[in-house]
Amino acid sequence: MKTVVEVVARAGPGGRTVLPVVRASGQLAVRRTGPSTVHLVATAFGPLGGDDVEVSLVVEDGAVLTVRSVAAAIALPARGEPLPSVQRIHASVAGALDVGLEPTVVAARAHHVAVLTAELADGAVLTATEQVLLGRTGEQPGRWTGTTRIERASRPLLHTTVGLGPGAAAWLPPVAPRAYATTVHLGDGESGVGTGEDAVRLPLPGGWVTTAWGAELHRVVAAVESLTDPGARVTA
Amino acid sequence: MTAALLTLADARLPAGGHAHSGGVEQAIAAGIVHDPASLGTFLRRRLATSGAVAAGLAAAAWGADAAGLDGLDVEADARTPSPALRASSRQQGRGLVRVGRRAWPSDTWDALPALPHHAIALGVAAAAGGLAPCDAAQAAAYLSVSGPATAAQRLLAMDPLTVAALTARLAPEIDRVAASTTGQNGDVGRIPAASDPLLDLLAEVHAARKDRFFAS
Amino acid sequence: MGSGKTALAAALCRTLGAEYDLAVVTNDIYTTEDADFLRRNAVLPDDRIEAVQTGCCPHTAIRDDITANLDAVELLESRHPGLELVLVESGGDNLTASFSYGLVDVQVFVIDVAGGDKVPRKGGPGVTAADLLVVNKTDLAPMVGADLEVMRRDSAAVRNGRPTHLISLREDPSAASVAEWVREQIRARTVQPA
Repeated sequence: MKTVVEVVARAGPGGRTVLPVVRASGQLAVRRTGPSTVHLVATAFGPLGGDDVEVSLVVEDGAVLTVRSVAAAIALPARGEPLPSVQRIHASVAGALDVGLEPTVVAARAHHVAVLTAELADGAVLTATEQVLLGRTGEQPGRWTGTTRIERASRPLLHTTVGLGPGAAAWLPPVAPRAYATTVHLGDGESGVGTGEDAVRLPLPGGWVTTAWGAELHRVVAAVESLTDPGARVTA
Repeated sequence: MTAALLTLADARLPAGGHAHSGGVEQAIAAGIVHDPASLGTFLRRRLATSGAVAAGLAAAAWGADAAGLDGLDVEADARTPSPALRASSRQQGRGLVRVGRRAWPSDTWDALPALPHHAIALGVAAAAGGLAPCDAAQAAAYLSVSGPATAAQRLLAMDPLTVAALTARLAPEIDRVAASTTGQNGDVGRIPAASDPLLDLLAEVHAARKDRFFAS
Repeated sequence: MGSGKTALAAALCRTLGAEYDLAVVTNDIYTTEDADFLRRNAVLPDDRIEAVQTGCCPHTAIRDDITANLDAVELLESRHPGLELVLVESGGDNLTASFSYGLVDVQVFVIDVAGGDKVPRKGGPGVTAADLLVVNKTDLAPMVGADLEVMRRDSAAVRNGRPTHLISLREDPSAASVAEWVREQIRARTVQPA
């Protein structure tokens, strides 16, 4: 099933952000939950293998947008063909965007593909967080493939693809984690290298990307946060 | 293929590769690599990620002009967010340019930036040496494991025959990785971007150490 | 090992540092100990010392694949455009160590008396072919029962006229004779203005 979400954030009168476009069709609904915050709400079980979600986010100059979800998404295998479920988020940012959805849990035999592409104008600020757990409690891990490509003024700043779960070429014991989290921040705060146990922060031009992995998601998320400069986060 | 590929991928080509362990030195320190089996796993991990990226970049750099090479340099940086891995790649790129210019004189060397990523220098070397883009990819994929394998052999005093056999048996996977990088059709966004955060972490912890044998 | 290579490099830095624009590259067997030694002894400012990692093979780094050393020398040259003398120091690891002439103009091989007076007789490329052979720690000769005359004679026999200096860095921390030899090498390679 095809799901399309579109949100446009624009600078309104008095420095406030207005959202002239808030649109969703398919398995997600969008609710405006704050002056510049929207929540994605799943209206169906899933995603299932073969489902395709496309999220388009436009944050114009001077506008601020925060995107959240209300609950973890559980990616499930399709009945027939072993197709992956796909979620593509494309962000075009001149203002400030913060995308932080609840974790994606990939059930056994499911394969979820998450793609984030972002085009930043000069002066744009982006924070994007991804949290992944392979397998529900007591279940074999599913498979997750996450690609991030971020460009500023048409110049790529970060382009990585991480594959997790059985069948992913670099997901090999003894380092084959069930839980994974990453936060990328660009715009207003360059930061140096930071290392922790199964966690690393790497500098990017005007920002950083922090990644952690391990057995339990809450610990992994905490590891990312411990390496994350709280002052650099977008406040919306 | 011509014999130039054998020269390009020869561990004895004096391009500086012998001083780089590709993360193996730190993987050993972290207890991740300790025997032939764990080394084999590490090499497959590296081949599937940085090896695939290097192969894609090398193939794309073949025949590229100065603007194209600059663009690829930026793409390589975007795929290599670890400063330690960037430095290691550029150091090896510089070494390859030094010997490559002498081995295969060509104007294309002048189109490279001053400290090119190793994979991009490999693509230029392949072109200058009369090889094909797939040869550049092949060399990049092979070198992504051959150097680390030798480094592990030295550090753990492993049986060299065992390590040679390990590398030799990776040949089908090396071929697959090299072959998968063709058909990018000049679209730099389609160059593989496979990343292993573990390798980033190992590289950064290693770079901060003082007691190391290898440059990376 | 332990024959005093780094100590000799430090001595040459002290003695020649005021005369020449000089820098040092250290090839360490392990760690950046030698570079740290030079820094600690404040022989040279930090930006005139570069340490090279040799991938467990100091041999390779100075003879077979000199890339890392060339990089280090070029880095020093770019930092100090007037550089006149670069000392490249390597632990080697045995008597077969030797520098590629793609990297260096002349090489000095250092052994010590404590290794026994048979070392020169055993030969090896370092002893026979180095442009200068330095036998250090002559002050220890009586203690270890080494015969300096034997060492001098055997060296002369295998070195085909190339010089050998017997020194004691403890007794002469300036390494005066070696420094003078280095000056001669520089003079011989410096184009005299017409």
